[in-house]
Amino acid sequence: MRRKKVCFVGYGSTEYSRKSEEPLLWYYAEAMRRALDQTGLKKSDIQGFSITTQASPDYSPHVAEQLGLELDWVLNGDYGGAGGVTSVRRAADAIEAGHIDVAVLVGGNSFDKSVVHQRPLEYQRANYVDVYGYGGPNSLMALIQRLHMEQFGTTLEQIGKIAIAQRENAQQNPQALLREPMSLEDYLNSRMISDPIRLFDCVMPCSGAECVVLASEEKAKRITDKLVYLVTDAEKVQYQVGNMLPDKTTFGIKVVAERLFSEVRREQIDFFELYDDYPIAVLIQIEDLGYCKKGVGGKFVETHDLSYKGDFPVNTGGGQLSVGQAGLAGGYLHIVEALRQLRGEAGPRQVKKAERALITGIGWLSYGRNLGTTAGLIMERRK
Amino acid sequence: MAEKSLPKVNKIDRPYWEGAAAGKLLLQKCKECGKLQFFPRAACVGCFSGDLEWVTASGKGKLHSFTWVRVPRNPAFKEEVPICYANIILDEGVIMESRIVGKDLQTVKTGAKVKVVFQETADPGIKLPVFELSG
Repeated sequence: MRRKKVCFVGYGSTEYSRKSEEPLLWYYAEAMRRALDQTGLKKSDIQGFSITTQASPDYSPHVAEQLGLELDWVLNGDYGGAGGVTSVRRAADAIEAGHIDVAVLVGGNSFDKSVVHQRPLEYQRANYVDVYGYGGPNSLMALIQRLHMEQFGTTLEQIGKIAIAQRENAQQNPQALLREPMSLEDYLNSRMISDPIRLFDCVMPCSGAECVVLASEEKAKRITDKLVYLVTDAEKVQYQVGNMLPDKTTFGIKVVAERLFSEVRREQIDFFELYDDYPIAVLIQIEDLGYCKKGVGGKFVETHDLSYKGDFPVNTGGGQLSVGQAGLAGGYLHIVEALRQLRGEAGPRQVKKAERALITGIGWLSYGRNLGTTAGLIMERRK
Repeated sequence: MAEKSLPKVNKIDRPYWEGAAAGKLLLQKCKECGKLQFFPRAACVGCFSGDLEWVTASGKGKLHSFTWVRVPRNPAFKEEVPICYANIILDEGVIMESRIVGKDLQTVKTGAKVKVVFQETADPGIKLPVFELSG
């Protein structure tokens, strides 16, 4: 489906921190304030409001009360790492339907000890996974990575190249918590966490928040002359759930891609912001998006330059792997970086030709398969 | 001190855990379409029928993928690392997540034949289906 009249009009990011115990509400407010400052909107212009968080008491109406927002539309956009993209989809629906003209979407995390962060394990994980001493998502992704390596001959060097390229991008991003150069040796020698997943395959938890502002085209034109349109978007939830012999190395992104590329041609995308909970997940998404055949992702990353200067720019700000993962703000990090690039605000890491971007979100590792939620969208800068 | 978590047995999966305690690995089978499934659910993931029965699996299968867990999510498992956490494909054609136990696991490879064994837990009424290499 093609969107016609929904625009991204602004964004706001906080600094990220490994230690800060500022309350989550402070992070939300700070990210939102920066987005409002950028757009010139006032608090009273916010009609729709979505929160994406793992801190369980923070439903959007509660946060709205805390921050003094009187609203016409609310959403709890907690769909794991796909929460950013799916929240954009929901808000775009509400805007197209005419319910609201402006939506503010926020994701965040903090180490505030007064807030409950641990989502109760969903039923299947508590009874059939956790009892065996697994290592969380690291172990579930490790099962997928081993299969990809054994079935297709994908090497650690190829997977590591993704982490290294993103680190190179992060060196130009002051928000990134991890900016020191990473060599292939550093990657290979990093501590084993859940074989074959190493420390440098994993994201670093941190505090922070990201905010995105969406508006109807009519309203958007009054807010900014940097118009970024939502072109098309799609999601797939619990791909292959009915298959007891699932293909673990193909994500729902394959179906998402078919839908996105029925509206826009693959070669029209200038850069990619792909949800990077692990480098192997980026590699698999490149395959599922159809930029190479299944199993050839290793060769693809070997023969392309993934940096912001490269021929196939991926995660131009360093992604979660180098910026840090502020909980479910991670699903917005990619959207916000795409907006910076499309608006020409990415500074030293600006991609030369940045007119069209593809952004994905993936989340909730599922039982025996791979991902519970997968989503993607394409955005475009128009003069 | 952290404790190893135990399943919170509910109405849907009670027969599964009772089966395990009696040394049987049970799968759900749909009486409408015949589909086998794991983990236990309120509906058939194929046809959505609620008419499900329990069948005893052979307990045999092969190792589909595995990982050596060095950092378990629950610190109670720390003393047992590295833990061989695995995907097993049962001969019945159903994927399971479980753990490989036994001696000489260092050489474990995908494709290895495995068979179920039942591991005691802190709760005498609960046994965990885990797998051993069966050569």
